[in-house]
Amino acid sequence: MTKKVMRRRAADNVYLHKDFHGALNQALLYLHKKYGERAVRDYLRQFARNYHAPLRQALVEKGLVALKDYFERIYGLEGAECRTELSPDELTVTVPRCPAVTHIRKMDWPLAPLFQETSRTIHEAICRGTPYKAELIDYDPKTGRSVQRFLRRSERPI
Amino acid sequence: MISCTEFIPAYSELFKFLEKKGGARAVLDFWNFFADAYLTTLKNLAAERGVRGCWKYWSKTLNEEAADFTMELDEEAGELTITIHHCPSKGRLLELKHLKAYGSYCRHCDILYRRVLEPLGLEYRIDLSRADQARCRVTVKAKPVKA
Repeated sequence: MTKKVMRRRAADNVYLHKDFHGALNQALLYLHKKYGERAVRDYLRQFARNYHAPLRQALVEKGLVALKDYFERIYGLEGAECRTELSPDELTVTVPRCPAVTHIRKMDWPLAPLFQETSRTIHEAICRGTPYKAELIDYDPKTGRSVQRFLRRSERPI
Repeated sequence: MISCTEFIPAYSELFKFLEKKGGARAVLDFWNFFADAYLTTLKNLAAERGVRGCWKYWSKTLNEEAADFTMELDEEAGELTITIHHCPSKGRLLELKHLKAYGSYCRHCDILYRRVLEPLGLEYRIDLSRADQARCRVTVKAKPVKA
């Protein structure tokens, strides 16, 4: 019979629990099945509006560089490649392999059919009310490879 | 993509969203679904190895979540205790001053793990009296076998 003690402090580890991708995926599957497609998008919009409020404010104040810095940071934390091309009125973000989709596939979990909305809907919601708009111009559900573009609106912000 | 480092606020927002849709019952329904559909690794480990399986499960998750904790396993007593000195999830929510967390956020840890472990003959207890300081204490104990 064994007695064991494990003592860890926060600084002993890096905060990176990739199974959280699977948890979010399950949540999207549940919302979709129980409440429909619209609920998935409404939830993601609510998340973006509330959680990303500081990022949206930074986008208004600093422009597209705020998004560039954000994407480079979060993909960097996950050890994933993220290529950005920034001009004054346009930002293109190319992700060759999405770390979330990669982990979900690795664990053999079924990918939520609306998983790409974690990019499309959230980015559109971040841009709402700013001088910029978001477009998901390419997406591969097998790998999560994506090309996202953010550009200055020609019309008034909505 | 929602980064796995941003999942906790997304989780909290999900609970708020569900509560708006269908009250506390809708949140509870989701937690029950989530325990059944997602916590299969814990279920399998606990079914095979009891409290030792629970030790193995939380050894991975608590380290990956960079929790500040002490976990103690006493196989003779059939008991596992986890003292969370600082919960990385609740701690994050407390740090996010611009985001109002779901009021009963920590309750999911009570519902989910109890639902997985108790049908396997393990008693699950969680003391959430200091959850407002991102602290809690979990006890998992093998239920005595009736003669």
